[in-house]
Amino acid sequence: MADVMRATGATARAADALLRGVGGRTVLLRMPAPAGAGDVAEQLGLETPQFQDVELAPVVFRRARANATEGKAARREVLVSATAVEALVGSLGYSAAAVLFATAFGVLVDGVLMTVESVTDSEVFGKPYLYHLWLREPVAETV
Amino acid sequence: MQNAKDTFYIALQGRVAALNPARTIAVRGVTRPGLLVEENELASAKEQADVFRLRWTGARLDMQGTLPLAAMTCEIAYATDGNSGNGGMDRGRLLAAMDAELASAVGAAPQNAVKMNYAGLAGESGAAPIAMGTNIFWSDAVFGKTVVNGERLERVATVEVFSYQEVGEL
Repeated sequence: MADVMRATGATARAADALLRGVGGRTVLLRMPAPAGAGDVAEQLGLETPQFQDVELAPVVFRRARANATEGKAARREVLVSATAVEALVGSLGYSAAAVLFATAFGVLVDGVLMTVESVTDSEVFGKPYLYHLWLREPVAETV
Repeated sequence: MQNAKDTFYIALQGRVAALNPARTIAVRGVTRPGLLVEENELASAKEQADVFRLRWTGARLDMQGTLPLAAMTCEIAYATDGNSGNGGMDRGRLLAAMDAELASAVGAAPQNAVKMNYAGLAGESGAAPIAMGTNIFWSDAVFGKTVVNGERLERVATVEVFSYQEVGEL
């Protein structure tokens, strides 16, 4: 049974079904374009990278802390399908999900850009089936 | 002042790359010499160990001379966790190696460089940098205390960078 679950990715599909079942939605991962090799202008801040927004779905989005202290940004947790992350890692040419999220500039949720503070994953048999992204809201958006 | 900051970074980057070509950093998929200016990178960029990070933290302008003399403080922060293969037990040695590299790079003669204007590199034109009429010059590095942050050793060294403000210069 364990071999079947490992080989077929049943846990990842089960996680996807659960995320969709509890109202999974779409957010956008804002990625900077790769740096230009030997591009001194970018190193000197004379040029800024282009950004592209790529879809991340299904995800479930929740507030990690109910009340933010005044002047402190609220944190939110996003549960992301590992299937979606793996597809992105492959299509964008990154070596691993950790590299993808480390490179990301933020997550765009309903027009609000949130910073990725940390990423963890849940895995079974050494294969992730769910990623947890901890996001920080801009202070101006915190209520 | 911006030209002086740019010139100092490019000069130091060249010296660090010559001293230790193996000291590199990967920034958005591109490998380059292990030195960056924090204010020129994305705010989301993660702090990386075993590289030099430049921060411009202070500036003074002396108006007494024929040309205003700008003195800027450049903090150079660096840290190391040691090699994971060695269980991090070599972190002290690696920090000492970075101390030595930085001291050599900053202190090697001449401690000056022709001030360059890199503004032409922006945009599609990609014009070559222009040599200006004055030099920048800098002090030796002053090393701060070692800060132990968990398994990581960190240090900040400070260099004073001087340049004359030419007419019409930012």
